[in-house]
Amino acid sequence: MQRKSEASGYAAAGNLTDRGANLNGKVVCPPPLFANGLCGYRCLQKMTSETHGAKRSSEPLDLQALIETIPALVVCVLADGSAEFANRAWQEYTGRPLQQLTGSSSWHSTIHPNDLAKFLHDSTVGLMPGKSVDTEARLRRADGQYRWFSIRKTLAVSRTQGREPSLRTLIACEDIEERKEEESARRFSEKQYRLVVETASDAVISVNDSSTILFANSATMRVFGYAPAELIGKPLTILMPEFLRKLHEAGFKRYLATGRRHINWQGTELTGLHKDGQEFPVEVSFGELTKDGHQIFTGFIRDISERKQAEEIQKQAQKAIQTAQAELARVSRLTTMGELAASIAHEVNQPLTAVNNNSNACLRLLANQNLQPDVLRQALEEIVADGTRASAIIARIRAFIKKAPVEKNSLDVNEVIGEVLAMAGHGFEENRIVLKSELAQALPPLLGDRVQLQQVLLNLIMNGIEAMSTVTDRPRLLWVQSRIDESGDVLIEVRDSGTGLGLEGDRVFTPFFTTKANGMGMGLSISRSLIEGHGGRLRATPNSPHGAVFSFTLPVGAGRPS
Amino acid sequence: MTGAPVVFVVDDDPSVRSSLKRLIGTVGLQVESFESADTFLQRKLPDAPSCLVLDVRLHGLSGLDFQRELAARKIRIPIVFITGHGDIPMTVKAMKAGAVEFLTKPFRDQDLLDAVRIALERDHARHEQEKELTDLQQRFNSLTPREQEVISMAVSGMLNKQIADQLGTAENTVKVHRSRAMEKMHAQSFAELVRMIEKLKGPSERAS
Repeated sequence: MQRKSEASGYAAAGNLTDRGANLNGKVVCPPPLFANGLCGYRCLQKMTSETHGAKRSSEPLDLQALIETIPALVVCVLADGSAEFANRAWQEYTGRPLQQLTGSSSWHSTIHPNDLAKFLHDSTVGLMPGKSVDTEARLRRADGQYRWFSIRKTLAVSRTQGREPSLRTLIACEDIEERKEEESARRFSEKQYRLVVETASDAVISVNDSSTILFANSATMRVFGYAPAELIGKPLTILMPEFLRKLHEAGFKRYLATGRRHINWQGTELTGLHKDGQEFPVEVSFGELTKDGHQIFTGFIRDISERKQAEEIQKQAQKAIQTAQAELARVSRLTTMGELAASIAHEVNQPLTAVNNNSNACLRLLANQNLQPDVLRQALEEIVADGTRASAIIARIRAFIKKAPVEKNSLDVNEVIGEVLAMAGHGFEENRIVLKSELAQALPPLLGDRVQLQQVLLNLIMNGIEAMSTVTDRPRLLWVQSRIDESGDVLIEVRDSGTGLGLEGDRVFTPFFTTKANGMGMGLSISRSLIEGHGGRLRATPNSPHGAVFSFTLPVGAGRPS
Repeated sequence: MTGAPVVFVVDDDPSVRSSLKRLIGTVGLQVESFESADTFLQRKLPDAPSCLVLDVRLHGLSGLDFQRELAARKIRIPIVFITGHGDIPMTVKAMKAGAVEFLTKPFRDQDLLDAVRIALERDHARHEQEKELTDLQQRFNSLTPREQEVISMAVSGMLNKQIADQLGTAENTVKVHRSRAMEKMHAQSFAELVRMIEKLKGPSERAS
């Protein structure tokens, strides 16, 4: 019974909305219940049409039942501020039954205190009978949480026949929490985009399909010298040198007509025109968007003058390096022969000096009639021996130059090391050097030129001794080690605690490079050639914490007689 | 200075060492050879003129370092350098440090023998000087303290009378001291005695 009367009352409220001219009790289409017009509007349309239908079918429509089904929160407030009706959605959401909404404007307590003032302002200003106002406010849920709602407040005048016209306020609230969140996310993302565009160091310029500038970011000032405002509405060609304008216009037209891209849209190098008339290289990337059937092109334009300059400098530097390398190669070819000659002279000098001295001695003995056969024979024997020695040196140097195969015999590396250490013996004592030799037992025999290997080892050991001659603050240690390395080759290492190689590293193997005051710069260069002639490798690495390590490998298998 | 001159050869190449020994031997000089500076230093130098034929490039201690080492040890033996390939800075350094000659291998035998002869003469002269000085010192040491005192004053230009006054003795006594000192010093004249005393005082005092 109660329900029924309310329903009819509500039907009146819905049907009798004042629409100005139609105040004769005719049912007119009311303003939509909700701001978005969707659900509520459709609902009321339905209600209206069903009302008409109901009239036809003379069956009363249960409007209240209908309102109960819609998801929006609906409250109907009487002129005294007390709620006359609240739908189930409202009661469920707020957790307050209708009975609690009896006091004047007591339903206001549902509105978030911070939103109330705005709500009251928005919902009273401009509110006239038959009109609606829209506002937004947070409403308190039963669990105390607030959610954003879009609220439409409608002032309805009901003129039930036989009664005084009365005013009712219809409040319909639609949950817009999610939309709010989306909106805020969208606003954030827009802000972010704007920030990116505005802080970009590249100019960002948008043009429409007639190549007129619609937007320019602040970096445009830095790149082209124009303030963004100066460019809006101007043709894009203003930023191009004369020779590019026609090309651009033709290309742009062709693209709009055919949709075919003729240039690369990502990172094309073009020429830009600064406001001051200077042309400069730019790199342009652009993309296309369609808005309301019109194409909008947005380009990123980067000033690449500096990059171009750097590239140019690098090109020149590379050219200079190439020239220097060619020159170095030429010079070293020239000097190799000269230095080799000096090296030969040095090697051959010793036996030659001895031959000279002995020959002169013989001549003097003969001139003095001092003819002791023993003395003369011994001198002549030495002359022959030194002559042989000199020619052997020359033969070896010739072999070295020709890279001819060396004279290889089966030999024990440890034995060779022992011989060399004996030769260098007094060098250790004189220089107060502590020798540590760690020779691996049972190394496989190698095929090699004993003398050459001795020369290399002696050279490395003497270098080590020399490198330590100035060392006073630490022990002068020379390690000589032999072992089999990971690849199965015999490895010989000479390690010192001397002054080290510094930054020179591999340069020590370059002919004529020397770190010694009186060095020729040939020793290590020749040593490396000799070791390579044995199929091995000679390397220099820094020793830790001081000194250098010279190591060479000799293959075990390669040199074995087949 | 009694012994015959000796030439020391230091070269680490046995062939060169042996040939040098033979060559220098042909002019009748006594030669001793060493393979390193160290072995040479172990030999006590003879009381005779001697010189050193030294290879610049020795293993271990180089020839130039060895020259410095000798100077530090006050061994004033003249050095003839020989080298496989000498350069100008090296030569200048060696000569400034008192080398007699700097020869590049292979050298003319006469050049080496001339250099050895000059070196030995220089050493001989030095030995003579040193010997004379030693003799003088010995003679001076044989004077009584009073005689030494008297001639020191006389050489500085004081008259006998002044010396007597200063020493608080008679002029005749001074005369006796003087003549005895002259005799002991083997000085033929007072001028010679002055030269002898100057020599004894040494170069540093003379300069001042």
